[in-house]
Amino acid sequence: MLTKKLPPLQRFLSLVSRRASHAARQQYDVIVVGGGHAGTEAAAAAARVGAETLLVSQKIQTIGALSCNPSLGGVGKGQLVREVDALDGLCGRAGDWAGIHFSILNRSKGPAVWGPRAQLDRQRYRTFIQSELLSTPRLTVLEGSVEELLLSETNPEEPGTHRVTGIRLANEGTPISASSVILTTGTFLSGSLFVGQSESPGGRIGDAPSSAGLSHTLRERLGLRVGRLRTGTPPRILKDSVDLSLAHLHPPDSHPTPFSFLNTHTRCKPEEQLPCYLTHTTPGVERVVKESLHLNCHIQQDAKGPRYCPSIESRVVRFPGRQHQVWLEPEGLTSDLLYPQGLSMTMPPDIQLRLIREIPPLHRAEIHTPGYGVQYDFVCPTQLSPALQVKSTQGLFLAGQINGTTGYEEAAAQGLWAGVNAARSALSMPTVALSRTESYIGVLIDDLVSRGVTEPYRMFTSRAEYRTSLRPDNADLRLTLKGFEEVGCVSPLRYQEAVRVRDSLQEAQAALQTLSMSNPKWRKALPDMRMSETKSTLLTGMDVLQYKYVTFEMMSSAFPESLSRHMEFAQRLKIEAVYKPHCDLQKKEIERIQKEENMSLPQDIDYLTVPVSMSQEVREVLDRVRPSTLGAATRLEGMTPAAIVHLLNYVRNAAQRERRTQRHQKEEREREMCAKEAS
Amino acid sequence: MLPSIYRGIWGAAVHTLRTSRGTPPCRFLSTCEGVPFGLADAESIFALSSGHGRCGVAVVRASGPASATALRCMAGVSRSPPPPRTALLRSIRDPISKEVLDRGLVFWFPGPHSFTGEDSVEFHIHGGPAVITAVLQALGSVPGMRPAEAGEFTRRAFQAGKLDLTEVEGLGDLIHAETEAQRRQALRQMSGELGHLYQDWTHRLKRCLAHVEAFIDFSEDELIEDGVLNQVDRWVCDLQAEMERHLKDERRGERLRSGVQVVIAGATNAGKSSLLNTLCQRPAAIVSPIAGTTRDIVETALDIGGFPVLLSDTAGLRESPDLVEREGVRRARERVEQADLTLVVADCADLPSDAQQAAAFLQEHLRSVLPPQEQPETVFPADRLLLVLNKMDLLPEEQRLELDGELRRVSGFPPVCLISCHTKEGVHDFLTVLHSSVKTLCGDPLSGAPTLTQARHRAHLQQCFSAMAQYQRYRDLDLALAAEGVRLALTSLGRITGRVGAEEILDIIFKDFCIGK
Repeated sequence: MLTKKLPPLQRFLSLVSRRASHAARQQYDVIVVGGGHAGTEAAAAAARVGAETLLVSQKIQTIGALSCNPSLGGVGKGQLVREVDALDGLCGRAGDWAGIHFSILNRSKGPAVWGPRAQLDRQRYRTFIQSELLSTPRLTVLEGSVEELLLSETNPEEPGTHRVTGIRLANEGTPISASSVILTTGTFLSGSLFVGQSESPGGRIGDAPSSAGLSHTLRERLGLRVGRLRTGTPPRILKDSVDLSLAHLHPPDSHPTPFSFLNTHTRCKPEEQLPCYLTHTTPGVERVVKESLHLNCHIQQDAKGPRYCPSIESRVVRFPGRQHQVWLEPEGLTSDLLYPQGLSMTMPPDIQLRLIREIPPLHRAEIHTPGYGVQYDFVCPTQLSPALQVKSTQGLFLAGQINGTTGYEEAAAQGLWAGVNAARSALSMPTVALSRTESYIGVLIDDLVSRGVTEPYRMFTSRAEYRTSLRPDNADLRLTLKGFEEVGCVSPLRYQEAVRVRDSLQEAQAALQTLSMSNPKWRKALPDMRMSETKSTLLTGMDVLQYKYVTFEMMSSAFPESLSRHMEFAQRLKIEAVYKPHCDLQKKEIERIQKEENMSLPQDIDYLTVPVSMSQEVREVLDRVRPSTLGAATRLEGMTPAAIVHLLNYVRNAAQRERRTQRHQKEEREREMCAKEAS
Repeated sequence: MLPSIYRGIWGAAVHTLRTSRGTPPCRFLSTCEGVPFGLADAESIFALSSGHGRCGVAVVRASGPASATALRCMAGVSRSPPPPRTALLRSIRDPISKEVLDRGLVFWFPGPHSFTGEDSVEFHIHGGPAVITAVLQALGSVPGMRPAEAGEFTRRAFQAGKLDLTEVEGLGDLIHAETEAQRRQALRQMSGELGHLYQDWTHRLKRCLAHVEAFIDFSEDELIEDGVLNQVDRWVCDLQAEMERHLKDERRGERLRSGVQVVIAGATNAGKSSLLNTLCQRPAAIVSPIAGTTRDIVETALDIGGFPVLLSDTAGLRESPDLVEREGVRRARERVEQADLTLVVADCADLPSDAQQAAAFLQEHLRSVLPPQEQPETVFPADRLLLVLNKMDLLPEEQRLELDGELRRVSGFPPVCLISCHTKEGVHDFLTVLHSSVKTLCGDPLSGAPTLTQARHRAHLQQCFSAMAQYQRYRDLDLALAAEGVRLALTSLGRITGRVGAEEILDIIFKDFCIGK
């Protein structure tokens, strides 16, 4: 994968425009609007599933651009990258191609919460994504701005009050039709940019604002509820103007760990990696912020910003009198810019300069691009199904920041899943859902569609209640097999690799299980195991591998004939052994929940009048959220056990009635046929 | 705060139907934890199945794979299974101390031909509270056994296909009734000292978890130092020590607080205290013609037709400038909220002479006594409310009949009794009505089984305690597994005090730390 020659960007662009020339006249299965992390994963996934796909982006050059921080992964987010990769998505491999500083966060805290992370070279990342899209069969890229969604009569067979059948581009007027449309417009939905006291329309500096038509269609014609959120980005600083000797050097891991299950090493050689630098704010920074608050519109607005990625202004206001961390991160191998993580700000540019110069390594720093704030509309995600389809609108899918999330990884995960389902629905296959018991993607989507958001949603490991089972090391076993067998978004090549891994791991575990010996014998075989227990019971190899000081390497050299051929999986086996008892405990619970998640509720129940004994409060909650499964219904506020029982009973009876009616109709028809034949 | 127990039932509701899963109706969080897996894993359950109260024979039932173990180690049935569904006379022993607890009948119902479809055992033992408590405790010490959640036997029966869908509607009602009874019981327990203690523990555990989670999710790039974990170590240690003391204490203090909670409430001078004195046949409460005589709650334990009743007389409900009386009224209202059965007393002399107007007046009066969340739309809960019209001797015979007829005609009224505490007229009939109400309530498996509830609390606390040991065991080995221990501890305790979810933990994190990446 990493040795592949990427086509030069110029060729990409020419190919794209050639395709674009005939694109406008075609009919597609899936149209993806937006070329960010959600859009690119969505387009690639839809094409992998088998749909003729069109990706429309305002500017082809910015497809795959990292608009904010030059990094990927982290705690919780790294898990998402691994899962997207396990489903054959792009971002893991792109990270391995573009990474210039790899590290596993939380290395000392247990493999379930390890956070694979990398600093990226912006240029390389974009090139990789563009090249991947180019070489994806059934995928066409088109430059253009979407003016409006085409709506038509609904399909009476499916729930929903509207139906989307395509898009119309600005300035062209030619409609392009498709069975499914995925919107991944990020911060461009009624986006406004803020610097100091000035406000201008747009979703990202340097890009044209998206047309007001789309926003209007969503709100007015489709009647979707929207909310407003804000985010921001720090100024970019000229590297040469920074005195890095005054900051703490933060080296990368000496052995970079790739994100992708397909890669054994990263493109960047260990010694080529670049370091990051850590520095801190000073009381001077706090002073500048406080003095300039009145010049700062963004911070005075009441749109909700994230609590965990706050601007320097809100950090200083909320936690005064403290030193705050500032990371100085490289933007690329050859880039002359630094990205000051933690200094997101929206004050006027001259004050931004004053502020950063209060930080010792930056006391002579020059700003290349000032920081700015963005406020944008998001569609309240409780209006979506677990397939990320708008419940009231047939054929319309949403992914990324438009659903109220923040972060590349969150966007990529949703994009992939929306792409899969948009394609499946266009190809008349049933949509699929991921459970929160099997993946972080499932946790993310379930949180969004059943709880909604009040601030930009970011993934944390603490959101996943089955964290010890949903580890970064086993994402392939959890998702790749299913992704091939049930979802159809995984290539045979990757599937075969996952099958090989699964079989080898099973074989190795079986070999460990059969090694059953008494305590003294184990101590003799593994002199370094430092086992303090004196119980005389028999221990298997899996039991022993749980001990802190025991490694698979140790065991393999003690029992080479049965174990040495599994050395490739030494680390995974160790992790598996430590977590196995806990995961076995969780398994029953997980199975139970999966059963509940599989019980789907019809989308067309009129909860307000359904003839079941339920309180008005419960009816209103159900009517507002329209949970898609009984499992989701139980998580709603105000639900009572009795209401669940009544509801289930009603649904089952309805299903029985339905079946009975169908049977009667069939009998009726048969009788008629017989009568005709007889006559 | 909504009781733990809700979740059990909710779980019941849902399991019953093999499809959904439960959460307490009050506090909903994104997490989808239901039964903590420690519990879900311990598959066998036991409970006192016979009604509460004085009875000759009590039936304790156990269901699940550990039933066979219970049979073997408590009833000394040898290894080969005894004949199914046949009464065996056995000494019933404590599985650990081997002390004989009682001599009784034992039945073995191998699955699938049992109520729950699982292997089940029934112990028919003597009905004294001491024997019942001892047998329940003994069962609790059988490995794999835990006290049943409410409705769990029924739920398992449904899971095994022993109930069919037409019975589900009835089951929904049953679950509703059970949750109501449990809500009241939990309220009763939670308003006391014990409640404060459990709440305090929950609060502290939440903080522990939040700090561990902050350390996991944020420490790498943030200003969260290792000191955070040392603090959690200390907190967990303190909590463990307190919980251990409590668990030891509780065994000694485990007393039977059984009985149906009956509360007398109403306006001042309606004759509430007279009613109490009439019922307990002694001047337990001071009676005077002065409005507001009773200020605090007067409790007395009674035996109504063989059922244990805890009768409380409360201050008359009225606005008062007097601080002491105001507190009395507050307590009275609280007591009504926790009551299994409320006797609303009204003074016949206060009634309008027109029967229709009198009915409307009484309806209004009932509403003013009942707590707001139980305000019915149309029908007053007949099983939990009795309207007592005192001083009937002051009404002329004719008006009495008219009123009686009117109240029977108007639908949605609770049972009404006309009595006179002064002449004792109507008291006998009232006792009959009261007896049948209490009897109905005792049929409710929950209101009369505090032993079981306490055993359940104990099981949850025990689990919470050992989960904290998991934190300590893994603290230096694997922080994800250590955090799992704290999370499990919180879930176990949450089954008593109400659920805690991911969002709440995140809220604490953002309050306590400056997360700024």
